[in-house]
Amino acid sequence: MPAALASTSSWTARWRQRAFRHAPADLDPVVLRHSRIYILPTRRGLAFLATLAIMLVTSLNYALSLGFVVTFLLAGLVGSALLHTFRNLAGIELRPLAAGEAFAGSVLPFTVAIAGGATARRAVSLAARGARVTMDVPAGAALPALLDVPTSRRGRIALGRVTLSSDYPLGLWRGWAYVHFPLTGVVYPAPELNAPPLPPGSAGDDAQTSARGDDADLAGLRTYQDGDPLQRVAWKAVARGAGWYTKQFDGAGGGGPAVLAWRSLPGAMSAEGKLARLVAWVLAAERAARPFTLSAPGIALPAGQGRDHRRAALTALALVSAPD
Amino acid sequence: MAAAATVDSLRWRRPRVATRPALAPTQVRWLGALLIAAQLPLLSFVPIWVAGFGAMQVALRFFLLHRDRLRPGAVPARIPTWALALFAVAAGLAIRQSFGYFIGRDPSVAFLFVLIGIKFLETRTARDGTLLVCLAGFLVVTPFFYNQSVLAAAAAVPALVLVGAALQVLALPGDEPDFVRWRVPIARSAKLLAQGIPLAAILFLLFPRLAGPLWGLPSDHMGKSGLSDRMALGTISELSLSDSVAFRVDFTSLVPAPAQRYWRGPVLTRFDGREWTAAPRTPAGEFARIAARPVAYTVTLEPHYKPWLFALDLPAALPRVATDAGDEERAAPIAGLTRDQQLVALAPVTQPLRYEQLSILSSAYPPGNDEEAAAEIADSRRLPRGNPRTQALASELRLRYPDDAAFVRAVLQRFHDEPYVYTLSPDALYPRDPVDGFLFESRRGFCEHYASAFVVLLRAAGIPARIVTGYQGGEMNPNGGYMIVRQSDAHAWAEALVGGQWRRYDPTAAVAPSRIEGGIGRALPADDHVPLLARLDGSWIKGLQLAWDAVNHDWRRHVIGFNYEQQRSLWRNWEIDRFAPWQMVALASAFVLAWVGALLAWLVWRRRREDRALALWKALCGRLARAGLPRQPHEGPLAYAARAAARWPEFAVAFDVIGDAYAVLRYGPAAGRDDRQRERAAALARLARAVDVLPAAGALRTLPVPA
Repeated sequence: MPAALASTSSWTARWRQRAFRHAPADLDPVVLRHSRIYILPTRRGLAFLATLAIMLVTSLNYALSLGFVVTFLLAGLVGSALLHTFRNLAGIELRPLAAGEAFAGSVLPFTVAIAGGATARRAVSLAARGARVTMDVPAGAALPALLDVPTSRRGRIALGRVTLSSDYPLGLWRGWAYVHFPLTGVVYPAPELNAPPLPPGSAGDDAQTSARGDDADLAGLRTYQDGDPLQRVAWKAVARGAGWYTKQFDGAGGGGPAVLAWRSLPGAMSAEGKLARLVAWVLAAERAARPFTLSAPGIALPAGQGRDHRRAALTALALVSAPD
Repeated sequence: MAAAATVDSLRWRRPRVATRPALAPTQVRWLGALLIAAQLPLLSFVPIWVAGFGAMQVALRFFLLHRDRLRPGAVPARIPTWALALFAVAAGLAIRQSFGYFIGRDPSVAFLFVLIGIKFLETRTARDGTLLVCLAGFLVVTPFFYNQSVLAAAAAVPALVLVGAALQVLALPGDEPDFVRWRVPIARSAKLLAQGIPLAAILFLLFPRLAGPLWGLPSDHMGKSGLSDRMALGTISELSLSDSVAFRVDFTSLVPAPAQRYWRGPVLTRFDGREWTAAPRTPAGEFARIAARPVAYTVTLEPHYKPWLFALDLPAALPRVATDAGDEERAAPIAGLTRDQQLVALAPVTQPLRYEQLSILSSAYPPGNDEEAAAEIADSRRLPRGNPRTQALASELRLRYPDDAAFVRAVLQRFHDEPYVYTLSPDALYPRDPVDGFLFESRRGFCEHYASAFVVLLRAAGIPARIVTGYQGGEMNPNGGYMIVRQSDAHAWAEALVGGQWRRYDPTAAVAPSRIEGGIGRALPADDHVPLLARLDGSWIKGLQLAWDAVNHDWRRHVIGFNYEQQRSLWRNWEIDRFAPWQMVALASAFVLAWVGALLAWLVWRRRREDRALALWKALCGRLARAGLPRQPHEGPLAYAARAAARWPEFAVAFDVIGDAYAVLRYGPAAGRDDRQRERAAALARLARAVDVLPAAGALRTLPVPA
């Protein structure tokens, strides 16, 4: 009966998703309820329960009424610790906030907002992909929890399943819950170290406002627009309260946007090496506040500059599917 | 996008911590506090050197911690592991030497006591901490082997609270332990324990007890005070030095007069010239049929690790287990009656036992007339060689008094007339012919001297006689209306077959009649060492002691005495005794679930209460909105309150308080820190009061807008 089989497997799949949250199906915000929270004794809890068992057998054998009293009082302690562990997690609200950016080899910060509602939450740990953060959440507060996921390769990286856990108050029970947000970040290729200087611009046929910051003269100020590089903000004007302006320079340098092209790189270089070089150049151009164009397999970015342009370029480089 | 896919499928493993993090000094200090609390109640039950050794190690660790604190940055002081192992082995050997054996309860307790100190010295990681908490938890139970009084229970409380506190401190992450205030873990642990009490109570009542031990109890109890089935001269006087309680009696009928309080114990028939022993095998007997009104009472017997039960002379029925609930069903018999009218339990009394007993106050009973009776009588005539002067005295007296009763009277008269002294400190007697030595030379003796001399004289004259040991006397406690019988009431008297009946004779009464009427405190010379309580008649110390004993009696009956039988009877009372095991488990689970539900509901209710600030604020915002001043989405409580105060200057103070209190509650320090609780409660009260002050929305709207 293939049909029955299929329905069984879908049932198990649903059950597995419900139990283990393998798929990133959680839409924000997630409030932890009893159906999501698991609790099992920790190692310390098991050791303590074993001690209680020994105490119980001793009390039974020697008919020690007070032995029973002590054993059962400690059992009551273990029991109420269980409930407190549960309560410490129940009702916690999680929502995905942001995925940061990172170069391969460094850490990619994901931010998840955690709110405890009206009760303070103690010693709550969030863990995902090797990142781990433990925090107290005061009553009524919503805090960002920063998960620094270590990276090794460029590409898109999903936060994956977040395990939220706590062994508060006695460390005898560990309660945990899985939350799986569809939160992904982009890991840029690591920039090449000591990369050669930027290639020259494409002969300043276009009178675009551009300049290399260091050996250029200040030409004037224009109103700040979103995306203007921070290095070129007229901070003194901002500090005076005169408003936001962006400094404009009269360029001596290579003139025109730098052309960063995959094709111009030596063919002997590996694909990843070329990407690293291009990333280093993007960063250099950005540092120099110089517009650039970028072309690579599957990428053709027109000339531009600023935060968004830089991000677009780096993201495109991160997601280049292995050429050659 | 293949590369992206492979990156996405990368799985990260949680990094393994290679070296376990060391415990913070604060955590070690908490563990030390737990150890001290667990060791203290045991101090008087372990050999003094064990107590000193164990306590010294804890002190040493504290000293090292202190030294580390004085020299920050230096390598923490450590005792090498091999030295600790050496300590442990040495302690084990010394304990073996001191107790004479190692596998047993008491040496194990002593070894655990020392071991836990050694473990504390080398405790470094959280795992060591766990082990230490578990060992200390077990150590809390061990003093109850020796003493289960109210005080012993109270002494265990600090250790219990500290178990919870130490677990909390161990569970704290990272560097936090240094900032914990000592009150916080204590308070939280006490709270958790208190919340667990219902669960503990359910388990205490429903967890099935055993009728007997799982494994044989070690022979640690030999030589504990109490009557034994052998008596040499000096055994009972030694016992009389003890103040400890043998049993307590609640009378349901009239309390017998002091002279009738003979509590029958082991009957000693065999005599080897020096020592009296019970007949090795005593056949089952029958109750004497005596028409008299029986005395009814309940005995709470302290465990004495011997099989016999005590009853007033003569027992009239088999003892039955007493229960607080008057259940009709008779429990299975717990003891049998021997020919010599002794009650012998089926198993040694290893836990406090309460039994109901009937007695007829009679000092004589018929011997029966079967073969066994004849053998018994023959046994009671047997006298080994020796003690020639006593034998000669008997023959001489016998010539003068051929009648048995007259002979006995003459012997008693002799004890009374001759200068015999009743004393707890008799002179040492030659092991050869001790009865001669006592009767003719020292003439100073305690009850066992008189009883054995009496029986030897009678046997020498051919009259069957034997020694009966037990207790004589008992003191009524006015605080509880019950009688206390102490070890110092231990007594030996005699029984002789005179006139076709076994009759009770107490030669001690002939020497010191006040012993029988008023206890040994009255009867002994003032310079004799008597247990304090036997002599402090009428003083306030005695009164205090009796009041305290009444508390202990109740404690024994209801808490310590809650054993297999008590539990069964309680179950019978609740009509759950016929439940199958699964029904019992279901019942217990239902109770536990009820507890879980109640506790969770309470915790949620408390959370609701926390939410009260938010509810008040929302209601206020709604009211002000209806009054024409809605809160702007970007406005915080302070800004909104300021705007409202500008609109309604009449209530500026109230708005000021509201904004401030709500800001404290919403954005102030967390409630979790227990020391902040009070602050937050005060803020909540201020907020509620200030909101109360404000008029309704309609009234607010009509107030004029200030210029």
